[in-house]
Amino acid sequence: MTLVGALVAVAVLLAAAVVAGVLHRRSQGRARQAAARPAIDPARLGGVEFGESATLVQFSTELCAKCPAVRRTLSSVADAHDGVRHVDVDLTHRPDIARDFGILQTPTTLIIDRHGVVRTRLGGSLRRDVVESELVRLTEAA
Amino acid sequence: MSAPLSPADRDSGAPPADRGDRPRPAGIDPRGPRFVAAITALLLLVDVLLGLTGLSTAVGSFGWYAYQPLADAVIAPGPAWAITQASLAQRILDPAFLLLLVIALLFLWSVLWQRSAPWGLLYRKIVQPRLRPPRELEDPRPPRFAQGVGLFVTAVGLVLQLAGVPWALPIAAAAAFVAAFLNAAFGLCLGCQLYLLLQRTGIVGRAPAPTA
Repeated sequence: MTLVGALVAVAVLLAAAVVAGVLHRRSQGRARQAAARPAIDPARLGGVEFGESATLVQFSTELCAKCPAVRRTLSSVADAHDGVRHVDVDLTHRPDIARDFGILQTPTTLIIDRHGVVRTRLGGSLRRDVVESELVRLTEAA
Repeated sequence: MSAPLSPADRDSGAPPADRGDRPRPAGIDPRGPRFVAAITALLLLVDVLLGLTGLSTAVGSFGWYAYQPLADAVIAPGPAWAITQASLAQRILDPAFLLLLVIALLFLWSVLWQRSAPWGLLYRKIVQPRLRPPRELEDPRPPRFAQGVGLFVTAVGLVLQLAGVPWALPIAAAAAFVAAFLNAAFGLCLGCQLYLLLQRTGIVGRAPAPTA
């Protein structure tokens, strides 16, 4: 391959990587409303307790760079709202739970209402205000 | 109201306050791995360029160019790649191979002895003192796992080049470049994301206590 051809190929590679990064960044922390589905049995998450008004279910693994930051955000949101509980489910040794809930990346966060129904799904790192506005939406609807 | 499940809060970024069931490694500045990824991405991009202009994509002298396009030739022969005719020494001495070997050895270094790996050391000695202290510390295991993924990808490229497979080396370098670039520029750790997928397919992490 000529040098010019190779430089063009390298430029295309770089551009493709930038596009992939921008697309990924856009998808991060976007709240997706889940279709109404039957309530989740807490036993399916390894026996957790749900909150009285809502539960923030975070899926993590041991080898997850973004999980600690999300964990801090969600637990401080839970602390600031009565009846909201944060649970962290470690998938490291539970691939069955990952398959069950179709988790393809960690962190993934589910917002569950007081009936145990998944209302919102957030992939990747997230912003506090997005979580809080989803909680408001959820309590208003209830 | 926060209630992490039993093993889950082991890698929380907070100072060690856990039960001590397994020692948690000390946190690292999260900008360190991204600095390392930036240097690695640059080296890999140079290597892609070397690979594209070097032996692994070159067409041999008996192939395409020497081929006389006879009007009634039935089957045009495919390009005779230079690498398939090159000796093992020539495959090794290809600059793209040598640079990728160095990159792979650096990956190996940071997997085995993360604290002493050169780019990380450069960051901690030269760059970090000039920056503000990190707002939060990060678990060192995810970036280390990702370095292992980088080692695997580059090693595949090296082995295929030794086996005389055309294009393998620049493609492997390009794949590793994309991962390193996304980490450096966007903070997206592809290798870490891969962990969950590998674990779901049962390749890693099924044992009760992984050695990683």
